[in-house]
Amino acid sequence: MDFETLLSYEWGVMMPEFIILGVAVALSLIDLFMPENRSRRLLGLFAFVGVAVSFVSLLGLWTSDVTSILGDTFRLDSFAKSFKALLLIGSALVLLLALHYEPKERIAYRGEFYYLFLTALLGAMMMTSSGDLITLFIGLELLSLSSYILVAIRKKHTLANEAALKYVITGSIATAITLFGMSYIFGFTGSTNIKEIAGQLASTYDENHQYILSLAFLLTFVGLSFKLAAAPFHMWAPDVYQGATTPVVSFLSVVSKTAGFVIVLRVIVSVFAQTPSGSSASMLMTLAPYIAFLAGATMIIGNTIALRQRNVKRMLAYSSVAHAGYVLVALASLSMFMFEAIWFYLLAYLFMTIGAFAILQVVSQHHDDEDVSIFAGLYRRSPLMAIAMTIFLLSLAGIPGTAGFIGKMNIFLGAFVVEPAHYVLASIMVVTTVVSYVYYFGIFVQMFFRPVEHTHRLEWPPGVIAVVVICVIGTVLLGVFPNIAYDFLAPFEHFSDFLQ
Amino acid sequence: MSGQYIAFFVLALIALGGGIFMLNLNKVVHMVVALVFTFVSIAGIYVLLSAEFVAAVQVLIYSGAITIIMLFGIMLTRHQDDGQSTGSPLRKAFALLGTVAFGAVMYIGIRTLDFGSEAVGLHDKNTEQIGIAIYSKYVIPFELASVLLLVALIGAVILAKKDDKEAGE
Repeated sequence: MDFETLLSYEWGVMMPEFIILGVAVALSLIDLFMPENRSRRLLGLFAFVGVAVSFVSLLGLWTSDVTSILGDTFRLDSFAKSFKALLLIGSALVLLLALHYEPKERIAYRGEFYYLFLTALLGAMMMTSSGDLITLFIGLELLSLSSYILVAIRKKHTLANEAALKYVITGSIATAITLFGMSYIFGFTGSTNIKEIAGQLASTYDENHQYILSLAFLLTFVGLSFKLAAAPFHMWAPDVYQGATTPVVSFLSVVSKTAGFVIVLRVIVSVFAQTPSGSSASMLMTLAPYIAFLAGATMIIGNTIALRQRNVKRMLAYSSVAHAGYVLVALASLSMFMFEAIWFYLLAYLFMTIGAFAILQVVSQHHDDEDVSIFAGLYRRSPLMAIAMTIFLLSLAGIPGTAGFIGKMNIFLGAFVVEPAHYVLASIMVVTTVVSYVYYFGIFVQMFFRPVEHTHRLEWPPGVIAVVVICVIGTVLLGVFPNIAYDFLAPFEHFSDFLQ
Repeated sequence: MSGQYIAFFVLALIALGGGIFMLNLNKVVHMVVALVFTFVSIAGIYVLLSAEFVAAVQVLIYSGAITIIMLFGIMLTRHQDDGQSTGSPLRKAFALLGTVAFGAVMYIGIRTLDFGSEAVGLHDKNTEQIGIAIYSKYVIPFELASVLLLVALIGAVILAKKDDKEAGE
């Protein structure tokens, strides 16, 4: 391959990634030459602008055809575009939060925070638009490695140190398990290109290979479910959420989780959906009960343990575990509208989670505490923020009129339209949702009915107000008019180009 | 039983033994030596698979560079050599049970496994083939890997750097 052929590819479709990479590199250089005692907030603004520009360039590519560079090591299809949009919106909101994060203990490495954040985002974005196991894996590692350091950046905090170490160790074990599973997939097909793998596996059916192929499937899936924090591989989540700074936690629970679902869909669905299996149409359908079991366990464990938490961050950690379970229900039921349902749920989850973390950040920073009692009397102190928090919690609980309800509804219906319907899974979903009301409503009780302990006024920085307003609008608007979001997906025709 | 088969078994045994010794030894320097055995025997397995270039890289980077860096790390940091026993016997028994079960499950799978015809011509122009693949078809993941290394470097600096106040003391 000479230089001419290399130039003949349409590198323009990688524009959003190039912008993020460029901004990350520029930030690291500016940080190096900036006087040491100058505030690093400017770098944060620069990073925010970079993410915004990248989002605009993504919108410019929104209607372009499927483009593939260098044998699918990079491909821009409708799946890539729609999930990249989620990642960029989530990151932009988290960056706004990070601008106003001023913890009691001074964090010396603010500049580093911003460019490690961008490289993590870059890894996640590469995963969305990759049709090759190698790019997928390197994207995953780029995201994981950056997140380990983002957690550990709070060096003086004992809990953060413990959390970072746990995160690194469990994360590396998960990576090893994923790679072991992938190595069998590569061994069978001799290719790392997902399309070729799917084609190879679809054309050759061999009884002897079924067993080891399903083992490869399970190993890969188990490894990847660490990233989703799905039970029983969720043990790192509560500790990491408690130890890390609030912006990092909202990044992990929204952007990193979305990226986890992206790689699961890319690897699991595209490789195994067409593989013939002995008893049913495809291997994915034969193995769907395992995913269903994991989904059920995740919902039950996440929601019941959350009941016992007094620390709000730990509670939100278990709630995020439970939400991963709801999304896994969509994956297990494999309905026609699986992609739309997952995309919409993650969008709704993005708004409600980041909104809740924004309010938590200000309140917990004010009290230097994370116990649920810090919300006591919030309604008296800042009524508007208490109402906003109510909206986010109602949406997380899935009450009608909010985006969370529509998202859950889609997944719930998806479990019924398939043959045979997943009655058990759907009923677990309903019961655990009702259980989740208890701990979400515990915060309401604090906000509205507990007396005010502190009369200090809370300071709401402009960036946090902007995040809360955007998230409230997103949550309510998508709850009342969900079609606004679906209109964005209209040019994609139900992700029909996923495997082309 | 061919010679290749025997060589594989010997190398695999050394690799596994190195790993097990690494976990069970108490002195850090001994652990590094055990690890070197694992690294070198894995390089041997690469040679058996006609991947001479990867084998050379394995020896250079893992047995050479990484081991030396580990030794530097051990010399430059404080550490206690006292061996602490971890976990209760019950937990150990469960871990053993889990490992044996996993090994059995995988063994059933690979016992009669046949990956079809073996690839031919793996050893001609080994290095050239790898070079061409990396710098043409896989140039995007290659560049991404360089970003990954940059992140690791920055991360290591952040975590290891002493803050100004401490450095002044």
